[in-house]
Amino acid sequence: MGLVHLADEDLMQLVRRGDAAAFEMVYDRHATAAFSLAYRMTGTRNAAEDVVQEAFLSLWRSGARYDHTRGSVRTWVLGIVHNRAIDALRRSMVHDRRRASDEGIEERFEARERTDVEAARRDEARDVREALETLPPEQSKVIELAYFGGFTHSEIASMLDTPIGTVKGRMRLGLEKLRGQLGGLAGAMS
Amino acid sequence: MNGCEHRETVASYVLGALPDDEHERFVAHLVTCDECQSGVAELQVAADALPLAAMQLVPPPELKDRIMAVVHADVARREAEAEAAQAAQPAQAEPPATPEPARPARPQRPRPWWRRPRLALRPVPAALAAAALIALGVAGGVLVSGGDEAARTVTALVDAPSAPGARATVAVADEHATLTVRDFPAPPEGRVYQVWLKRPGRDPEPTGALFTPRGGRAVVEVRDGVGGVEQVLVTDEPRGGSRVPTRAPVVVARLT
Repeated sequence: MGLVHLADEDLMQLVRRGDAAAFEMVYDRHATAAFSLAYRMTGTRNAAEDVVQEAFLSLWRSGARYDHTRGSVRTWVLGIVHNRAIDALRRSMVHDRRRASDEGIEERFEARERTDVEAARRDEARDVREALETLPPEQSKVIELAYFGGFTHSEIASMLDTPIGTVKGRMRLGLEKLRGQLGGLAGAMS
Repeated sequence: MNGCEHRETVASYVLGALPDDEHERFVAHLVTCDECQSGVAELQVAADALPLAAMQLVPPPELKDRIMAVVHADVARREAEAEAAQAAQPAQAEPPATPEPARPARPQRPRPWWRRPRLALRPVPAALAAAALIALGVAGGVLVSGGDEAARTVTALVDAPSAPGARATVAVADEHATLTVRDFPAPPEGRVYQVWLKRPGRDPEPTGALFTPRGGRAVVEVRDGVGGVEQVLVTDEPRGGSRVPTRAPVVVARLT
């Protein structure tokens, strides 16, 4: 059976044994989601590339850490990207440069729908964006600042001049509502 | 989720919004708290869907090329190491050779790693060196980031198989460098890490910058000027440091 027919979890077993072709297949499947998340968080193409490179090389060298009982490969990959992007934001003050550069990159690099899977992901992405938009603004704001902005809850409290307990509460309420609205979308990340 | 005083921290945790110290405390708490574990499981579903909200952008093909160059270099290195280990085994099994009455051949000493054409993180056979150097060069090139000439930060290549997440950066300002390592392994027993400065055509110069990471972290100020330095290197050395590197570098930060 060719690699293309293998599930992510099976590919990861090969990656663990140092199979470069299996790693390449994992990259091909998840690089767009990884780059998109990294770009959304860092706001610049160079920083996003650095984050994705660090994340995938970490995956290549520590594939043994993947535990299928704790979620899909996609979730795991994006978790690594998210952590690396937060590190990048917190250590290099990318915060200050965000939104100041690379505006318009979306038009040049936006993913085109090439397969049914990608088209389905586009629909799921729309659902998530719409679900976020239906949250009360104060809840969606703290979620976006935390998840995509890489800010800590105490930084958000300072930025919004709001007690930290209120910020935490808004995060929890917002996530609970999102979870309810997304319902069956949980499988989207698998 | 009604009783635990940490229940409101669950959302911050799944969103990655806890400062480092709070994150460590909460992770320790999570191990023993069923209520918070259940809360994390519930909210993680929503957090895991958030990446989908980002506009989907195709990564540039050069990014994949760079990553795969490093991957192929790793594979080549592992294969070379396996071949070398295999080649060494039969030699040990053979009976000792009869001593030759003639003048014994002068043992051939390998060229130290810093006198090889370009610095690789580990020795690789000549046939494979090209791939490794391409990977090293490309990665070093892309990872350079930062602002103007006066102050910039370089992300170093780290070869620490026991700590795949280890990272190192070198910040250079006014010809002085500061090395920062994170998630870095402890040096071998009885040794410390030492920083070296490599200028073109010269052997690595020792610095007095010796360090042992605490909790995987260290911030090391290199007092020697880095004018004309092409690479900042780190090796593990006996306590007190060495005048000449005794090990291959675990960190290579290319400044030029």
